[in-house]
Amino acid sequence: MKSNTVNIVISGVGGQGVLTLAEILAKAALSDSHNVRVGEIHGMAQRGGHVVCTVRIGAGARGPIIDPGTANLLVGFEPVETLREAHMIREDGCVLMSSYIQYPIAVSMGKASYPSNKEIISGIRKFTDRVLEFDAMEMAKKAGSSRALNMIMLGAIIGTGLTPITEEAAIDAVRSTFSKKFESINIKAVKMGREKVENLNR
Amino acid sequence: MTKPKQLLEDNVGKTVLLLANESIARGVLEAGVRLVALYPGTPSSEIGNNLTFMAPHIPNFYFEFSTNEKVAMEVAGAAAVAGVRSMMVCKGPGLNVAADPFFSLAYIGIRGAMVIVVADDPSMWSSQNENDSRYYALMGNMPLMEPSDPSEAKSMLLEAYEISEKLELPILFRTTTRVNHTRSPVTFGPIRDRPKTIEFVKEPFRFVPIPSVARVRHPWLLKQMELAMEISESTKLNFITGSGDLGIITSGVSYNYVVEALSTLDIDAETLKLGMTHPVPEKMISEFLKRHKRVMIVEELDPFLETHARRIAQLNGINVDILGKEQGFFPRTLEYTPRIVIEALSKILNRNTSINWKAIDQKAGEISGLPPRPPLLCAGCPHRATYYAIRVATRGKAIYPSDIGCYTLSIAPPLETADILFDMGSSITTACGLAEVTDQDIVATIGDSTFFAAGLPGIANAVYNQHRISLVILDNRTTAMTGHQPHPGTGVTGMQEKVPPLNIAKVCKGLGVKYVKTIDPFASLADLVAAVREMTTWTRENHKPSVLVSIAPCALLEAAERRKTGEIPPPYYVDSELCNSCKRCLNRLSCPAMYLDKETGQAVIDQTMCNYCGTCIAVCPQGAIKQEGAQK
Repeated sequence: MKSNTVNIVISGVGGQGVLTLAEILAKAALSDSHNVRVGEIHGMAQRGGHVVCTVRIGAGARGPIIDPGTANLLVGFEPVETLREAHMIREDGCVLMSSYIQYPIAVSMGKASYPSNKEIISGIRKFTDRVLEFDAMEMAKKAGSSRALNMIMLGAIIGTGLTPITEEAAIDAVRSTFSKKFESINIKAVKMGREKVENLNR
Repeated sequence: MTKPKQLLEDNVGKTVLLLANESIARGVLEAGVRLVALYPGTPSSEIGNNLTFMAPHIPNFYFEFSTNEKVAMEVAGAAAVAGVRSMMVCKGPGLNVAADPFFSLAYIGIRGAMVIVVADDPSMWSSQNENDSRYYALMGNMPLMEPSDPSEAKSMLLEAYEISEKLELPILFRTTTRVNHTRSPVTFGPIRDRPKTIEFVKEPFRFVPIPSVARVRHPWLLKQMELAMEISESTKLNFITGSGDLGIITSGVSYNYVVEALSTLDIDAETLKLGMTHPVPEKMISEFLKRHKRVMIVEELDPFLETHARRIAQLNGINVDILGKEQGFFPRTLEYTPRIVIEALSKILNRNTSINWKAIDQKAGEISGLPPRPPLLCAGCPHRATYYAIRVATRGKAIYPSDIGCYTLSIAPPLETADILFDMGSSITTACGLAEVTDQDIVATIGDSTFFAAGLPGIANAVYNQHRISLVILDNRTTAMTGHQPHPGTGVTGMQEKVPPLNIAKVCKGLGVKYVKTIDPFASLADLVAAVREMTTWTRENHKPSVLVSIAPCALLEAAERRKTGEIPPPYYVDSELCNSCKRCLNRLSCPAMYLDKETGQAVIDQTMCNYCGTCIAVCPQGAIKQEGAQK
């Protein structure tokens, strides 16, 4: 049962669009008749704090929770928030990480230090060797809006080929969820994300 | 972001992706519920958030955001007494607020049907405790149901109304965060009609529980619970799956983890899944216990089913090992995971876990010292300016009783303006108590929605008993933390109708507060500091309560409005010529939109996060923070 379940952990900062990405992924999966579960955290956790969402696709998914060491994909919207959830990934799992940093307040106030890129990557590599890093914020801005960061990550997820979600289903879900105003930016961002990961994997 | 419109579709058989909260909102339609009353609270919020936008489109349906949970219970309870189907919704601590009418409703019973949805919060994602509300059912003698996922949340809700009608008793419908906030496929059923109005037929010697009535009603209630037991023995909500030497009894979200754990470990076990957990099916459990030498009980929080199982085993002289929390196989705190069930099964069956979690935990432990990222007041939050002013005016030396809302986040450095908190409304009343036994100045803070929910008796108390407290009411024009619901001060109802808003300052004056002032926290930070200083001085000299209402809309509402209109103000920036790297802005305000540029050592404003409040301008002693195009 478990082997055919794809477990995706999405980690980021409240306000980055983590919840929305999880819902789009699940919508796309359902439209292709896959069983799906999404675990969300609302309320207090959305006020600029660390946010984690889970998406589980496949017949074996009953509850929303993904245990440490069982995620096929870890999608990190921010470097430190990626490392914070690195223990979730399977040894053969893949990590997608946006390199754009959002400094936590403790760092801005000089009460904590932000780890170097080298420390972050080596931390993640304790759990898996498959780490794909790219600046999704820069790409989102290129696509037309910093708010399309989650759409870059959506494309990147499809680009890994690790989920049964097709680009067509994902774009349909994007179309049916957002207003027409941002449609072209969002779709452009999805394609950019997919191409980026396909190129990195080549 | 399922649209409320989608939940209204008359499309039987359609499968959509829903949160359990959205599924319950849909269930309201399918069960023919006539009235829903609630006070919002995470993790139950999306039930009301959807119903308020569905309500105007549903014939013969009434929805309200009540002023608090006690009010909601009474509004919905009366509708059910009259004879329609009604619903009350609250979070775990909300049921504590509504406990008084809860117990009365069980005694007098109802003529229609009623479901009380309570959303408990194991792990306390957004609550002050993780109380297990199932004990209310036990104490109040009310039937209890526990759905395990979004699909069951709806099917069980429909069954709950049928059973409620049969028993003439409300049903306590207990969910947990991982049910409320799980999204999964749910299939629509037919929508049921609701009556326009019904006649309230008088029966005072049932519905007015004076002692002579209550003495008759209590035995009636116990008899109804015997009928409820018969239902519990035969209902499909309580069922058995699988077979094997090991027995497992479980309920709620834990059922999913049991199924996944058995599958992962490839183990056979007979599982009794209970949907109706009060009264528990005694015969069913007794037979189940007899069939096994060992029975594992899997339930989050308190040993509710476990205690029942031990009781039933003792009553029936059954020799069975009941394995649960009492021997330490399962924790009594925080939410469960498949891992917790796998580890317990592995321990009981003396085998290895599917994954070497010890090794993973050890590696995770090596990654220490990551900078924390707790939730914060948003960039542009008006509360930041107000708390900054309170701190400056009182030099951080006053006592700061806090309340329930976003503003409790002011507990964090550098604002540090939350010193004591019990529950909704306790800012005012704890201030009253502290004022009598200390010499310190006291500046309490409460939000607008909380003020209407639970602040009014506290104000009356402070006026009546002449307590020397200063109260700042943080009016951000919404119930922000739970997802921007309206309240009596906003002028919008649950039916989305415009009504005259209640004015907080006038309410305070009407209650007899002699010192009431209002201020815009973004107008001038210096004036804001002066206003707080003036009120604390007045309170000290007059030994009476004073109120300052600080009014500015929630930053998230402002940002949404900007996205709608597309009108973006000129950006704020730090003039690198003038900034002398003192970091006062970063250290005093802790605005998420400001960070330190490591190379220059100067503060920077992140344009993607700034919400244009301009509070930082007044905080900079160098005048280095500016708005583009602003006059010098």
